[in-house]
Amino acid sequence: MAFLTPLFLLAGATIALPIFVHLIQRERKRVIQFPSLMFVQRIPYQSVRRRRIRHWALLLMRCAALLMIVAAFARPFLRRAAVIAAAAGGSRELVVLLDHSASMGFGDHWQRARDAAHAAIGSLGANDRATFVLFSRNAEENMRATTDRARLNAAVDSAKVDADSTRYGPALKLAESILSRSQARRREAVLISDFQRAGWSGSEDVHFGEGYTLTPVSVASPAANNIAIPSVTFGRTSFSGQERLTVSAGIANKGNAPVSDVPVTLEVEGHQIQTQQAKIGANSTASVSFTQFTVDRPIVKGTVRAGTDPMPADNVFHFTVSPSAPVSLLVVTNPDSRDSALYLSQALAVGTTPVFQTDVVPVTRVTPANFEKRAVVILNDVSFPSAAAGGTLKKFVEGGGGLLVAAGDHTSWPQSEAELLPGTLGPSVDRTARGATLGFRDYSHAVFELFKAPRSGDFSAARIYRYRTLMTGPNDRVLARFDDGAVAVAERKVGAGRVIALTATLDDSYSDLPLKPVYVPLVHQLVKYLGQFESPRSWMTVGQVVDVSALTKARANWLVVTPSGKRVTSTGPLELDEQGIYEVRPAGASESAPPRAIAVNIDPAESDLTSIDPAELVAAVTGRATPTATASASPTETSQADVKDAEKRQALWWYLLLTGLLLLAVETVVSNRLSQGERFL
Amino acid sequence: MQQHSADATAMPGAQFVDPKILARIGNLELLARTVVDGFINGLHRAPYFGASIDFAEHRGYVSGDDIRRVDWRLFARTDRFYVKQYEADTNTNFSLLLDISKSMSFGSKGITKLTYACFLGACLAYLAQRQRDRVGTITFDSEIVNYVPPSAKHFNVLLHTLDRAKAERRGDLTRPLRDMSEHFKRRSILVLISDFYEDPDVILEAIKPLRFAGNDLIVFHVLDPAELDFGYSDASSFEDLESGEQIPVVPDSFAAEYRKLIRGHIDALTTKFSEHRIDYTMINTAEPLDRSLFSYLSARERMMRVR
Repeated sequence: MAFLTPLFLLAGATIALPIFVHLIQRERKRVIQFPSLMFVQRIPYQSVRRRRIRHWALLLMRCAALLMIVAAFARPFLRRAAVIAAAAGGSRELVVLLDHSASMGFGDHWQRARDAAHAAIGSLGANDRATFVLFSRNAEENMRATTDRARLNAAVDSAKVDADSTRYGPALKLAESILSRSQARRREAVLISDFQRAGWSGSEDVHFGEGYTLTPVSVASPAANNIAIPSVTFGRTSFSGQERLTVSAGIANKGNAPVSDVPVTLEVEGHQIQTQQAKIGANSTASVSFTQFTVDRPIVKGTVRAGTDPMPADNVFHFTVSPSAPVSLLVVTNPDSRDSALYLSQALAVGTTPVFQTDVVPVTRVTPANFEKRAVVILNDVSFPSAAAGGTLKKFVEGGGGLLVAAGDHTSWPQSEAELLPGTLGPSVDRTARGATLGFRDYSHAVFELFKAPRSGDFSAARIYRYRTLMTGPNDRVLARFDDGAVAVAERKVGAGRVIALTATLDDSYSDLPLKPVYVPLVHQLVKYLGQFESPRSWMTVGQVVDVSALTKARANWLVVTPSGKRVTSTGPLELDEQGIYEVRPAGASESAPPRAIAVNIDPAESDLTSIDPAELVAAVTGRATPTATASASPTETSQADVKDAEKRQALWWYLLLTGLLLLAVETVVSNRLSQGERFL
Repeated sequence: MQQHSADATAMPGAQFVDPKILARIGNLELLARTVVDGFINGLHRAPYFGASIDFAEHRGYVSGDDIRRVDWRLFARTDRFYVKQYEADTNTNFSLLLDISKSMSFGSKGITKLTYACFLGACLAYLAQRQRDRVGTITFDSEIVNYVPPSAKHFNVLLHTLDRAKAERRGDLTRPLRDMSEHFKRRSILVLISDFYEDPDVILEAIKPLRFAGNDLIVFHVLDPAELDFGYSDASSFEDLESGEQIPVVPDSFAAEYRKLIRGHIDALTTKFSEHRIDYTMINTAEPLDRSLFSYLSARERMMRVR
């Protein structure tokens, strides 16, 4: 027996009323005048007061009537009957959502989560169906709706923790989709997770329909201590013609207690290089730098390990490094002005990522050999090279090279090579009065994207006093214009290569741009874009997708060996779903050939075990607050909806109320009869 | 005259008149005459100590006596002067001391204690007046309320005073009786009628001065049947008529203890009055007046014998 609104039972205290009336009030209602209480007073008062209760039947009747009315308002129901009714309802659709993200590998979270899943499956009735969904960043129907408990349990047993991050949105959307398709009378979802706050942004557009039930089962540990390596940084130096690398690892302590003497080890190509002790405060980070080592091969694989804790996955960080490859440039200048490449050369000499290797050659001395192994060619206020060099330049661009044309008074472009220039050059425009400014910049283009954010490069300070007009074609893209609308920068793609034309020179003869702070980053962006430079990524995160063909810049079948040893032949995108180092080599290549390597680490957000209140998530999804279930809560217990339903069907309150009122009516008759003889009761 | 509408009837074969029937008589004098005459006629074999002017006794002549009262025949036989004394010369003061405290207004059987006491007082006064006693009365509660000095002509005044007596205030024996003792200089017959709700020792202490002054004291203790039997059954709040105090009482288990206490009170009064040679009679208002008259006349008889 249980009650739907047990607070009404407090009104049971009113049972004291009839007892009070029987004991006290009845003695005081009738007053008999007596000559003197001289003798009455000599008898102890206590002995004459509350001596006894007469009319026990009347008292019991009144008490029983009150209790029944109070119990009726408390809405009683038989819990066992409710459970049986729930079990016998038969038409229940259950979706078990089991989180198997990397954070579930913490301690015994995974075991408790599987136990909870088994318990949820165990609650299924004979006609109930359940779908088992494993989710982390994405959700997958591991076992479609079935009534076969054995298969469902087997699916739970075979599930494993993966290395991916947590996202509740896809899982809940999948559950909502499954439930919406169901015709079952009761539709429920059980969400078993550690409820990482990082997995729920609050902006997920997930809403369960009316009548759906979401039961959260949290396996989170209240005060979880965790040490993680979120990232590493590299410092490069050259020594004796070889590049040396210094690795610095950041160590994060996610616990509320400081830790000391945490061993942090650097391994390179399987060899332990150095181990250091780290001391990290509570909820803070520390940095550990290791001794230098020489990068003596195209790809060097390394691993940093830090301490041990209940979640080992984030105590390891993998990376790959390669010797830095300089970007080779050829700057073709006008032989008449020797200093025309001064600013350009100085700007390109700055920076290490990448290193620009610049060669300056007068246009009159350019030969086809000068274009070999170049990434970018810059024609700085010169005419198009002579026939042989010009033809080579055309092939260079079509083959994927980059060409930057800085148009000045000396620039002339033959009609035969017009396809290499984004537009047609016109006469010069003199703006010596006030100077022109760059009024429009296409921030969606890679060249100007860097300057998109506020206070990220002030182009308005630069004054251009003279420029060449450029009439662009329909296939050309204008990247910037002057304040009078004239084209300042335009691009054309030729074959696999890229050509960008500036309508002003890169020295200070046409503008004061080389004197402004934006000059150096602008030149770097232009060269990196034209040279199609991409900084090598030392690691990636689980869940990211890489295009193997783009990675290797060749279209062929590639054999991918995952960290777990699986071999996958791929030509297209490859989803990185394991933590460790992937090896990629051309299909059919010998095992001895050095493979390309991709280091993959788990999402740093998975290391943050801060949990969200399950009730908050449930309220956001269902639109109503429900009691938070704990890890120990059994999903087999009758849900609130079942309880209400059972109470409504049983309607015990009606019988209690009716009986109570009948008792009151009988009591009225009986008390009237008795009062006729005794004047009052 | 206080009227009561009790519809109870006299018991069949009752020898005397029921007080409730007497209560229907609106005139105290008529009532007293009815009772006393009927009482006397029914007692033809009883000793009669009625009033007369007949010879009573001789006593020696003392200087100053009227020589007309000298019994010359006796002088002739004895050669001594004796004076004849007649009963008519022995009439005395008869004072009715009536307690009219609030508790006297109680009555459970159709007649209150005060009404009964008035009947009794009127009858006694009528008897006294018939034997030429001077009759007077004093009504009191916590103090003297009305005073009618004894006189041969005050019978009607006495009746009028009794007729108008009302029990309204708290009672206290000590103070009014002390005042009375200072007042009665001449020996009198004092009839005290009260319900005596006071400690026996206190009552006795209050009465003693009257007795010591040489008065003949006859005490009537008037009680209602409910005060004697405590025949209540329902648990109720009992309110003291004088103080207004209320006490919840469950009579079933209480009555026996109460009866024991009231009986003890009566016994104590009987003993203490007897010790001091005071005639004490407890009267139940459910009983006829005759019993009270018997008590009075018995007392007068004893007085005459002593005398």
